[in-house]
Amino acid sequence: MTTTQRPSADDPRILLDQEAGVFEPVPPYPPRTEREAEFYTLGDGEMFLNMGPQHPSTHGVLRVVLKIDGENVVDLDPVLGYLHRGVEKLAENADYHQVISQVDPLEYVSSLFNEWGAVLSFEKLLDVEVPRRAEYIRVLSAELNRIASHALFMGWMALDLGGLTPILWSFIERDEIVEMLASLTGQRMLFNYFRIGGVNGDLNHDFMSRLGNWMSRATEQIEANQGLLNENEIFVRRMRGLGPIDTKTALRMCFTGPNLRATGVPFDIRRAHPYSVYPELDFDIPTRVEGDCLARYLLRIDEVKQSLRIIDQCLHQMPDGPVIAKLPRLLRPRPGRAYAAVESPRGQYATYVVSDGTDQPFRMRIHDPSYIHLQSVGLLMKGNLIADTMAIMASLDPIMGGVDK
Amino acid sequence: MDRRFKTRLEAHFGDRLTGPVRQRHDQTEIRIRPGDVVPVMTELHDNPDLRFEFLADLCGVDTGEVMQSVYHLWSDTTPDWLRVIADGLSRDDPRVPSVTFLWPGAEWMEREAYDMFGMIFEGNRDLRRIYMPPEYTSFPLRKDFYLPDDAARSPGGGYRHMEQTHFPANTPSATVRRLPGSRQLPSVK
Amino acid sequence: MALSKDKAEATGTLVVPEPAEVVEPLVVPNTFWTSTSPDAYTGGHEPDHTHLREFEASGLGSRDNARWSGPLEIIPTKADYVLDLIRMNSLWPLLSGLACCAIEMMSTATSRNDLDRWGHFPFRASPRQADVLIVAGTLTTKMAGPLIRLWEQMPEPKWCVALGDCTCSGGRYKRSYSTVEGIDRVMPVDVYIPGCPPRPEGLMYGMMKLQQLVKQRRGHWPERAIGPTVPQDV
Repeated sequence: MTTTQRPSADDPRILLDQEAGVFEPVPPYPPRTEREAEFYTLGDGEMFLNMGPQHPSTHGVLRVVLKIDGENVVDLDPVLGYLHRGVEKLAENADYHQVISQVDPLEYVSSLFNEWGAVLSFEKLLDVEVPRRAEYIRVLSAELNRIASHALFMGWMALDLGGLTPILWSFIERDEIVEMLASLTGQRMLFNYFRIGGVNGDLNHDFMSRLGNWMSRATEQIEANQGLLNENEIFVRRMRGLGPIDTKTALRMCFTGPNLRATGVPFDIRRAHPYSVYPELDFDIPTRVEGDCLARYLLRIDEVKQSLRIIDQCLHQMPDGPVIAKLPRLLRPRPGRAYAAVESPRGQYATYVVSDGTDQPFRMRIHDPSYIHLQSVGLLMKGNLIADTMAIMASLDPIMGGVDK
Repeated sequence: MDRRFKTRLEAHFGDRLTGPVRQRHDQTEIRIRPGDVVPVMTELHDNPDLRFEFLADLCGVDTGEVMQSVYHLWSDTTPDWLRVIADGLSRDDPRVPSVTFLWPGAEWMEREAYDMFGMIFEGNRDLRRIYMPPEYTSFPLRKDFYLPDDAARSPGGGYRHMEQTHFPANTPSATVRRLPGSRQLPSVK
Repeated sequence: MALSKDKAEATGTLVVPEPAEVVEPLVVPNTFWTSTSPDAYTGGHEPDHTHLREFEASGLGSRDNARWSGPLEIIPTKADYVLDLIRMNSLWPLLSGLACCAIEMMSTATSRNDLDRWGHFPFRASPRQADVLIVAGTLTTKMAGPLIRLWEQMPEPKWCVALGDCTCSGGRYKRSYSTVEGIDRVMPVDVYIPGCPPRPEGLMYGMMKLQQLVKQRRGHWPERAIGPTVPQDV
């Protein structure tokens, strides 16, 4: 095609012209919204800095336009969508059983929670009773995944501040847990383990032996990893008082999970709106009141300890029985709506499913915590230095797969 | 399932509800008109008897005939999730008042609903595209936006009538399994 | 949907659109894309959506090709061999993890599966200092532009590794409206590593294959094809 006719902007074939990928921070069109006008107006001595979609921070493809005055960040505008894969649309064309594997890659470091949210909402829609052994296995594997996710968070937090060692240590830990889960589920990362009505397979000997080995040294290992960072003066001084948020603002910004608990609100969906067998398990909800980066970091370490308690109890209280309820292959729930929320390592991961009586969900809405938390980065960043942008974003623990769906 | 919650809701909002209060499992659902979003949300948020201070989710739903804006709220006065459905938005011009005055964190959720459905939230300061590039013109999650290789060829068979549309011409209709009772495919020419 | 630029330039002030002008919902029926039609892979016209071909034809890219040029090229010398050994054992990847496969890439690079054994540890943040672009994760249409910029910014000699199903062929997102079905549509790929996500051993095997390619000078730039090399009826 030699004409210069430009195909429609909706053409899914990508169109690269000279400007593609060269990021002028200021968009070439006039501002379309109030906020855009406010952001793209430079004050005296300010300039834009584009932190492009590829940057050494490991959260993924997030583009942040910073408005800086010297080294201080005056305002910031995150630009998302570089990983938008259209999962909600694909979910409308898949069966209820197939959809579970579709939601795995959303928050890819904590895949089991994604599956759990989806499966819980389907079970509410279908009035399925999950056997108790399956519930205990779900809790066990999910808490292991939580520990793996928080271990990764610890590594990334330090990496974004510049420390290269803790990420190596936390990946050792994460690799052990993930190999355990691989012996249980078959996959290291996007597990595809939960099914509607239970889980895919029972515990096996390999998993139990690895779990036993790991549990016997888990506490010391966590203490060792912690000792690397918690007493490090640079780490603590950089993070203390950075990006504070108070309770009222956190609630108005719809924070959930460790970010909200670090501001003093003991809101944990496992206790506030219990699901599965959490009412039978004994664990605390760690809460901190400072609301800054250090509080969020320390809170997640506390959560790891609580998760170890839960795993211990699960192993002792594991009942016998089937691991999946008997369900037909072709599932056609009654028309209706269901909402289910689980406490993922990032916050409230929820699924709202609308069924129209067919074997495919009519609308599957995935509410992802990282998406909500990323809104407040601008709020938390005011007046901080450029280097602190990464620290604050790391402390909010976003995963771009979930942000962009 | 909190039965007393249902009576409390009917007492507060009797005239504004456009349908009965439905309860299933641990969710209570009310339906309101889009124009009533602001007073209902303010009442739910501020009233000391209700205290729904936590907005759990905000999304859009395209039912094929109308669009809906669905809010999920949480309060510690009741063990149920409250679902508020602002029903009856037209598919050609869906407009809903925004709730960002109560929850600034709803801004991005409304942006996503705009990007995926075209719903305009009046009062949102930042209603622009968030996932798709800014020059994109369609709204992907609407029911008239078809994916390539669409559901007509899935084992489910394209049961919904909106999916029984043009599909790749070289699919022999005999290989597409249809659910009993659904319409026949157009014959391949 | 965007306001006309004339309005902004004429008044010289910021034009804030009134609510009525914010959007004009245009629902475009999706008639462009039927992927089983024979036009799908090439779109009925050449894949000239990138200007990589003109770039390569103009010879600008081969200016710093780090080879013995001219008649010496046909004589493989001992220096060449040593140079290849050096290159293959210190391929520095670019830190370009897009999605889930990035976690596996990081897992490969860290202690338990150590990519440093082959010299690949420094994941450079800047494309100017990198040799290998390991594309790990789904490529969306919005990200394709920046990724190609990254590829163009990398100096020769450079290689590209497609890690994971999404980069090989689109993977589980093949039917989606916003993903690129395989990065070989937009850049030349040397090694494909399938898996969702591939195990770290898979990535290590892929990097070892890449090392063989480097040593044998097989994956060289002018001979690599851009665009999918899948035959037509597959």
